[in-house]
Amino acid sequence: MNFKYIVRMPFSSIGRKILMASSGLLLALFMLVHLGENLLILKGESAYNGWVDLLLSNPLIPAMEVGLLVLFLLHIFFGLWVRFEDWKNSRKRNYEVNKSQGGRTIGSATMLYTAFALLLYLVYHMIHFRFADHSMGFYQMVTEAFRDKFFVSIYVLGALALALHLSHGFQSAFQTLGIQHEKYTPVIKATGWIVSALMILFAFISIYFFAGFDAKLQYEQEKVLETVIE
Amino acid sequence: MEKKTFGITLRVWKQEQGEQTGHFEIYKIDGLTGDISFLEMLDILNEKLLKEGREPIAVESDCREGICGCCGLVINGDVHGPDEHSTVCQLHMRRFKDKDVITIEPFRAAPFPPIKDLVIDRSAMDSIIKAGGYISVNTGSAPDANSIPIEKAQAEKAMDFAACIGCGACVAACPNSAAMLFTGAKIAQLSLLPQGNPERNIRVLNMVKAMDSLGFGNCSNEYECEAVCPKEIRISAIAKMNREFIKANFASEQ
Ligand code: HEM
Ligand code: SF4
Ligand code: FES
Repeated sequence: MNFKYIVRMPFSSIGRKILMASSGLLLALFMLVHLGENLLILKGESAYNGWVDLLLSNPLIPAMEVGLLVLFLLHIFFGLWVRFEDWKNSRKRNYEVNKSQGGRTIGSATMLYTAFALLLYLVYHMIHFRFADHSMGFYQMVTEAFRDKFFVSIYVLGALALALHLSHGFQSAFQTLGIQHEKYTPVIKATGWIVSALMILFAFISIYFFAGFDAKLQYEQEKVLETVIE
Repeated sequence: MEKKTFGITLRVWKQEQGEQTGHFEIYKIDGLTGDISFLEMLDILNEKLLKEGREPIAVESDCREGICGCCGLVINGDVHGPDEHSTVCQLHMRRFKDKDVITIEPFRAAPFPPIKDLVIDRSAMDSIIKAGGYISVNTGSAPDANSIPIEKAQAEKAMDFAACIGCGACVAACPNSAAMLFTGAKIAQLSLLPQGNPERNIRVLNMVKAMDSLGFGNCSNEYECEAVCPKEIRISAIAKMNREFIKANFASEQ
């Protein structure tokens, strides 16, 4: 039996990056789906809770949650390993005149900072939503949390960090996987920008409830209803 | 007609052999013209220093025509100087003006230990090539022309990757000291040619292993290497290497 191909993945520079890139892209896909779900909350209590109930009635959900956890752990573990190695191998003394040669972007230069911001954000998110008391219903839990200034700040920062992380990470992952071609790379880069921009909608949702747009909307609707009845 | 001359101030990294660190030394030099090269300017300075009984600056160069790859320096923070996709030996003083202060540093990367002043030890790159950057199967005597047909476009692509001169600028520019562009160029070149085919799987695995064990970093796709490479090797070389790695790891006997 030949197991060398398995051992090579975590123990080679390219193998580690392939694990990171594939887990990162799957996480990005999850984030897009999750964003779609979250946008339902703007449609109101019954739409959102209806979806959550339907979702949780799927018997495969616990298994999928474990899968998601594994993706996160793989990505975080190999991301930090890669960066630890890079830190170890980086130049011992920096250049006196230190400047970018033109390849770096804000996204690429801040990968490690956005990574730690995302890690904190994820832990916060899990404590307050995943392992919280769900008895009042998901809609109530989420919208009430978003009335809090601190909570919303965390969400806005988290969404911005995610957008920045993916502004580099999305196209970077394709390059890592060897998917690089003058025909497709511009399309991949453009898609990356769109995906990053979409992540800002996570922040929009929390601000929407913080600013009380839902209440205003309800008020308007009631007024329209009243005039119709009159 | 008398040519207009100008003077500059240099801040040059000085480091004694065997020392862990060094310092910046300030030199003033006058009487320069725009049509001498940067290395000639350093020659003039070194001669002047010798005449004054001071120690000249240790700096490496050989071909002075942009093909040997040993003249790498970081000038005012630019790897290989301010000209894009060029070597230091191709840089001319017309790029600078009177009273400029120019900071000159050696390439810095963990796998490139300093030797003296601006000279570094780049032999780790040779070790990567030794791990498989060649063809070792016996290919017999020179075949007749056109007996191994290679499509023109394919041959051109291989040549583009073969243009790498092993200067190490990609490593010096990389925040992770990665040698992916250099290694990728060699792997891409050989994998595009029929002569490289028999050993392509073992080659990529061995060269990547050597690269890792010599202390070169991982690739974060910062693309700084592509921006400085004097031979305009593109990051498609790295993508190609990664594809070769995936193929060799999952789809070969290795
Ligand atoms: C919501 C979640 C996240 C998504 C969608 C995501 C996605 C990605 C993607 C696509 C990449 C590019 C991979 C490549 O360059 O080949 C990446 C890189 C990276 N990620 Fe994440 N990530 C997420 C969360 C995290 C977290 C929580 C951490 C760590 C604490 C992290 C650490 C890193 C690091 C360090 C890199 C750069 C590695 C390198 O190229 O040197 N990420 N991420
Ligand atoms: S890839 Fe370019 S920068 Fe790197 S060693 Fe070769 S010629 Fe120099
Ligand atoms: S001296 Fe040979 S490349 Fe510059």
